[in-house]
Amino acid sequence: MTDERLDDLEQRLPVSERVASIAFAHPSERVAAQILDFYRIAWEYEPTTFPLEWDRHGNVLASFAPDFYLPEFDLYIELTTMSQKLVTKKNRKVRRLKELYPEVSIKILYQKDFRKLLFKYGIPVRSRDHSEGGGLDADHGAAVKERGARDEGGERS
Amino acid sequence: MSMTFPDSRIERVLHDSVEIQAAVRRLGSEITADYEDRDLALVTVLKGGVMFLADLCRAIERPLTLDFMSISAYGPDAAASVRITKDLDDAIEGRDVLVVEDIIDTGLTLNYLLRVLRQRKPASIAVCTLLDKDARRLADLPIEYRGFAVPDRFLVGYGLDLGGLWRTLPYVATLTDEVWSA
Repeated sequence: MTDERLDDLEQRLPVSERVASIAFAHPSERVAAQILDFYRIAWEYEPTTFPLEWDRHGNVLASFAPDFYLPEFDLYIELTTMSQKLVTKKNRKVRRLKELYPEVSIKILYQKDFRKLLFKYGIPVRSRDHSEGGGLDADHGAAVKERGARDEGGERS
Repeated sequence: MSMTFPDSRIERVLHDSVEIQAAVRRLGSEITADYEDRDLALVTVLKGGVMFLADLCRAIERPLTLDFMSISAYGPDAAASVRITKDLDDAIEGRDVLVVEDIIDTGLTLNYLLRVLRQRKPASIAVCTLLDKDARRLADLPIEYRGFAVPDRFLVGYGLDLGGLWRTLPYVATLTDEVWSA
């Protein structure tokens, strides 16, 4: 597939005004928001910052803000599309979050998960260079469209 | 029994036709028992659910009707939001609706579908899926009847496809990772 074709596909992915108005920290977060918007799932982008560590004076030393909150399901989602070293660090934060806030539901989507998700939705994807922040971007690469999935390809729901 | 794969991208058979038909019979028996004296309408989403629906409906020993929907796909050609591209032919108000799915993965499609159907005031609504892949489930939905819990692999066969192919395989098979990681 040519770069022109990939650019054309990227531009034709549905983007709501809200998605367009948010400065996402990473391109993969924008794609995730697009998918949620498409399926009419309410979402909030980084709405909550959870303190994870404090000093003896009660000052917050470390905190964690999951990427998305889905109020309909009371679920936080964290996209992790980085190198394994950084994934380990993020896993540690999520574990700590679960220890401190056991009532909070959070799900991590790893790079492999997210790549599969993009593939499933027929979205062209490329691996970003380390100098670009790593992870995945939805504008180059595996552009196979799962046409069977009435909505999501061979596998859907 | 040796099995000839129709494509090198197919890795292995996850559930063969014998296992699938046993699951269909089990689910059919459960549904038969649960829906005694109720007005049952089976609904599936084209095209993937057709194979499972065709077998399941014949394993349910109750009067029932069949109906079909189609929903727009997310992807390069998608509109701004999901929409129904083929609606049910019959009204479901006051009826007991059972949504029949080939697979439930993220749950995003099913979540939309259930929301649409609930607005039509059915007497009840329940979900039956042959395959439950909950590793990537985002929408936590109640699933009353499930055939198999399946791993987080890309699956084809028995209604599941890739690019429209392999739906007609009598078994459910995994694809090699190269298919999606290329």
